Amino acid sequence: MQNKVELTPEAAVRAVMRDILGLNEVQVAEFTAETELFGALPELDSMAVAGLLTELEDRLDIMIDDDEVDGELFETFGNLVAFAEMKVTG
Amino acid sequence: MTLIPAFVSYEFADRKELCLSLAARSGRRVMLVPPLFDEMNRMRKMLIDVMRSLETLEIASFLPDLPGTNESLLPLEKATLSDWQEALEACAQQHQISHIASFRGGALAAAEMQSADHWVFSPVKGATILRTMMRTKVASDREAGLNTSLAELAARAKAGPLELAGNIIGSDLFTQLNAADIPTMKNQRIVRLESDNKPGDVQIPGTALWLRAEPDDDFAMSAAIAQDIAIWIGQ
Repeated sequence: MQNKVELTPEAAVRAVMRDILGLNEVQVAEFTAETELFGALPELDSMAVAGLLTELEDRLDIMIDDDEVDGELFETFGNLVAFAEMKVTG
Repeated sequence: MTLIPAFVSYEFADRKELCLSLAARSGRRVMLVPPLFDEMNRMRKMLIDVMRSLETLEIASFLPDLPGTNESLLPLEKATLSDWQEALEACAQQHQISHIASFRGGALAAAEMQSADHWVFSPVKGATILRTMMRTKVASDREAGLNTSLAELAARAKAGPLELAGNIIGSDLFTQLNAADIPTMKNQRIVRLESDNKPGDVQIPGTALWLRAEPDDDFAMSAAIAQDIAIWIGQ
């Protein structure tokens, strides 16, 4: 068995966005804190957002409560990364 | 000549369930257990590409419908996880299959076949699958002006059938899935994507198609999966 490798919150968010949107490494590397998400990316519908939250919980070993999730969280890539970092550091 | 997949059937609980099958010249055969619910739809094309790749490696493959899914005559709300486990055992027995390759939540349905050899791709807990589906329901309720919580949905699901992301899930299935942890099999090979940091026996290149908004394929990933299954089965 290979051992579990620590993953930074930003790397996890980037990897999950890449998988949801079907992008390649180069495209997803271009995401900056200002990149707009919900509303700007048609693939990011409510089902995709649900999958994103669960996948982040799984990859970062965190739990996300309903009341922590609002529209602002998905406005930009930066907001989502900041949220993931906050959850990981507690 | 390249063969094409064809439907065969297996009997379970006095019904015939369909099973997509692709024959091959050698006696080696493997059952592919699909992911559950929407993840199955998003990954079906990828799985059928795995079957085609396996055929070129002279390995026959079978992709059964779980009772209550796809072409099954059983309504999903009547299906349980134990039905799925027993149905897969029946299918394996009727088609003489001892190698089981399960994907994502499919691993939970394959969990009772302890004497088989298991190849397991990115397994997931039942509670995780339900959590995603409940979140989708919470989001659609919110659009309709309703304020539903995950805890409230879980309580409703235990009392009777509940519609989650287009699937009507009976209370037995909900309860069983909610309690279903990732199984540990006697003979198992855990396979993960290169981007996945969790422990595994082998990593393959590819993307998490189960997260994709629409069903998609990934030929390189399907070929890599078939290649690893062939190595695992051996001659």
